[in-house]
Amino acid sequence: MLAWRLPDEWRDFVLGDLEEEFRLRAATSPALARRWFWRQTIRCLLAPPQPPASRLQPQGRDPFMRTVLSDCRHAFRVFRRAPSFAIAVVAVLALGIGANTAIFSIVNAVLLRPLPFEEPDQLVRLFHIPPQATFPGMPTFSLSPANFLDWKRDAMSFDGLAAYNFRQLTLTGSGNAEALRVAVVGPGFFSIVRTQPALGRTFLPEEYTATARVLVISDGFWRSHLGAARDAVGRTLTFDRQSYTIVGVMPRQFSLAAWGATAVPLWAPLAWTDKEAAVRENHNYQAIARLKAGATLEQAKSELQVISKRLEQAYPAENAGWGGTAIPLQELIVGDVRTSLLMLLAAVALVLLIACANVGNLILARSMNRRKEIAIRAALGAGRRRVFQHLLVESMVLALVGGITGLVLARGAIGAGASLLADQVPRAEEASIDARVLLFVVAASIVTGILAGLVPALRAGRTDLNDTLKEGGRSDAAGAGNLVRRALIVAEVALSLMLLMGAGVMLRSLHALRHVDAGFNPRNVLRMDLNLPDATYPEPARRRAFYDSLMDRLRVLPGVQAAGWVDTLPVTGGGSVQPMVIEGRAELNPREQPTVSVRIASAGYLRTMEIPMLRGRDFAGSDVDALLVSASAAKLLWGDTDPVGRRATLPLVSRTRAIEVIGVVGDVKESLAEKPPPTVYYYMRDLPFGDAVIAIRTAGDPAGLAHSAVAAVHAIDAQLPVQEIHSMEEVIEGTLVAERFRALLLEVFAAAALTLASVGIYSVLSYLVRGRRREIGIRTALGARTSDVLRLVLLEGLKPALLGIVLGAAGALLAAGLLEKLVFGVKASDPLTLAVVAGSLLLVAVAASLLPAWRAAKLDPLTVLRDS
Amino acid sequence: MWFKSKSALGDFEQLVLLGVLRLGDEAYGAAIRQEIHARSGRDVSINAVYTTLDRLEAKGLLRSWTGAPTAQRGGRRRKFYALRAAGVTAMRQAYQAFRSMADGLEGRLDTK
Repeated sequence: MLAWRLPDEWRDFVLGDLEEEFRLRAATSPALARRWFWRQTIRCLLAPPQPPASRLQPQGRDPFMRTVLSDCRHAFRVFRRAPSFAIAVVAVLALGIGANTAIFSIVNAVLLRPLPFEEPDQLVRLFHIPPQATFPGMPTFSLSPANFLDWKRDAMSFDGLAAYNFRQLTLTGSGNAEALRVAVVGPGFFSIVRTQPALGRTFLPEEYTATARVLVISDGFWRSHLGAARDAVGRTLTFDRQSYTIVGVMPRQFSLAAWGATAVPLWAPLAWTDKEAAVRENHNYQAIARLKAGATLEQAKSELQVISKRLEQAYPAENAGWGGTAIPLQELIVGDVRTSLLMLLAAVALVLLIACANVGNLILARSMNRRKEIAIRAALGAGRRRVFQHLLVESMVLALVGGITGLVLARGAIGAGASLLADQVPRAEEASIDARVLLFVVAASIVTGILAGLVPALRAGRTDLNDTLKEGGRSDAAGAGNLVRRALIVAEVALSLMLLMGAGVMLRSLHALRHVDAGFNPRNVLRMDLNLPDATYPEPARRRAFYDSLMDRLRVLPGVQAAGWVDTLPVTGGGSVQPMVIEGRAELNPREQPTVSVRIASAGYLRTMEIPMLRGRDFAGSDVDALLVSASAAKLLWGDTDPVGRRATLPLVSRTRAIEVIGVVGDVKESLAEKPPPTVYYYMRDLPFGDAVIAIRTAGDPAGLAHSAVAAVHAIDAQLPVQEIHSMEEVIEGTLVAERFRALLLEVFAAAALTLASVGIYSVLSYLVRGRRREIGIRTALGARTSDVLRLVLLEGLKPALLGIVLGAAGALLAAGLLEKLVFGVKASDPLTLAVVAGSLLLVAVAASLLPAWRAAKLDPLTVLRDS
Repeated sequence: MWFKSKSALGDFEQLVLLGVLRLGDEAYGAAIRQEIHARSGRDVSINAVYTTLDRLEAKGLLRSWTGAPTAQRGGRRRKFYALRAAGVTAMRQAYQAFRSMADGLEGRLDTK
């Protein structure tokens, strides 16, 4: 590099000197010599020896870089002389580039940055593909142990497969009891993700047994519960009255909020008993696998399908219609948000485009004021190319300063945005400014500089010297310059309309989601999670007694109208889906046997949620086994006949126990945007597990009741952790965070676009009016009335605005297809929204045109004509 | 800078000239650089030395010739410098001026 920078005549000598002295120094200390060498090299690079100026050969043309540098210096001088212009442009561009940078940094963290595991592209999650006829709308399903073990034995495309699922452990022993989520992971889990513990080890092969009481803990848990003690490994913790030994601590970057298997404080070894390992029809496990080096995803998928086909034939009763597939981990983590993020990126890019148009306008107006300066430069021999370069460099300098300012703004925005999004957008919490984001800022600034400066620079190069240098030239009143300006208005208005349309549709969609009838009344409902540990509540009777006693206590609290519990609340996701067989009919294979969502519920739950009872009666304490079916479940299984009094079995619970249907209830949505699934509510006196979500309907604000509800729990069991205490409305809002965020950002972008567009219209019209003062003065002198002049100028502004609205509407309709996936309850091309948006944009255009028009109408013809 | 006397030597030019004078037949870039570093403590860059040497040559104070390539320089040549008569004169003037200005101040300038 140095050789290239040095003048020919010196190259040999300088390099030789460097080498000679380096060798001399290296003889005493190589390290110091190397340091000296680099310092010398860098100094020589920064300022290579220059032959004295007297010997410089006169050159035909300045080298490109030198003229650019001098243009830069000149640009800074120019901006110092017109600071308000420079500040306005930099501010507009800083906002535009800053917003783009903030959104891009989130896109970067979520979509572009690889997962923090070795060779993350090889990591896939394995799923069943359930039979579509009986599991409508479910593309994938969890795995059953026996099927997983068969896959593990037969599949050749993988370098390891591990099953896992989750359970809760209650930490006791110190202070309040705390319920913690544990990932129970099968052999090979840690070696598949290829992450070493920061301290200690992961599980030994012999620890994958039912009796091993060992745990690996997360970095977060290690810090919060063990004070980051270096000797944490080997310590014991008491969970559910049993003592567990910590064998390892995982590093911080292993905890990925977006992947459940790593987003837990604790990991425990998974051990299946022979009986559990033989379960084929109950699908309760997740699996992670690593593709073998060289194996493709397609190979893995088709191999799983082949194995599944074989298993279907071997076990038709359990496996008919059940396929298998592998999905890249990365795809699962970010798949859902990709559309959303790309939409936001497109929207914010539109804002930047509008900003460019605006800045282009400003520069154009200014370069018209500087026509004389430019003409003088041209007269002194600056070619068109040189003038063009000069003006383009000016806009580049502005854009780069804007970009740097924008980067500072983006840094602030990322902090706020990332924490806001952390729950809803996977990996958003990792958003930060890295090399790729910096590259983006530089690229965005350069493109912005070119976009904003190109048109003015091209125009300026074409200035007619003679005309301009003459005093009082008025060539700017008409002609191509104004055409360009009008075109910029058209573009701004069109782009603004597209953004406004997007924001409008998003807002309507959010409104629709908020007011969707989910089949229950979320107002004034308090919910909280309870989990009865097996160690303290080993038998069904104890669990039943606990919940019955809790319900009795809750129902008598002042302000409580109803109370009940269920294993999974609606709208929050999850919950069991099982086949259901009408008594007397043969159980079909899984491909044909209808499935329903099964909710274990208490008496009073439906009344608490205000889920309407359509026929029959609610559960009562005297029931042993009873079913309530939703209207769509009744239709699915019994068609038009009344199911009340009929009996059915849930084969996964028991094939011999026929349960009586005692009523039909309203349908309830599991997700606000989707159709309610057929659901049955199952009252079991002998509760098979201890998890429940308590729901309490209150007379007033449910938050006010939280304290006494928790006290009621602790009055029965002081050691029982109570978690996730929220109102049901909060829960629903929580599911809308992504939609809210999307709508909010689009609103902000649209508002910015609208402001920029109105400023653009205003400034262009003001400019035009200034150029046409004489003409207007003459018109007024010849008898034109105020209203005539007003109309003249207003039309001048409204014509391009109207054209922009038409083009923008066309663009919005074209873009609607892309938005369709993101909206609910309204079409992305909704004509009403379009009309409202177009109308308001027109109003803004009128408002922005009024002031210049008014000024024009108030022109005193005498003054104007005397001036010119 | 046409108004500046041509004979006036800059501070660094003086150091370089003294280096050339001191090194005699062995005055080339690296040696001059090392001499200045060793005696004055100024760790200057090679390019600064060459720029100054070149300027002094252009002023007619130095002459230069190219030596044979040597192994310890990776087969590259050296450029040697020697004072011309004008260089010696300029150096003498500078030295005289310096000495007479410093005359009588030795007690205050010497640092022991």
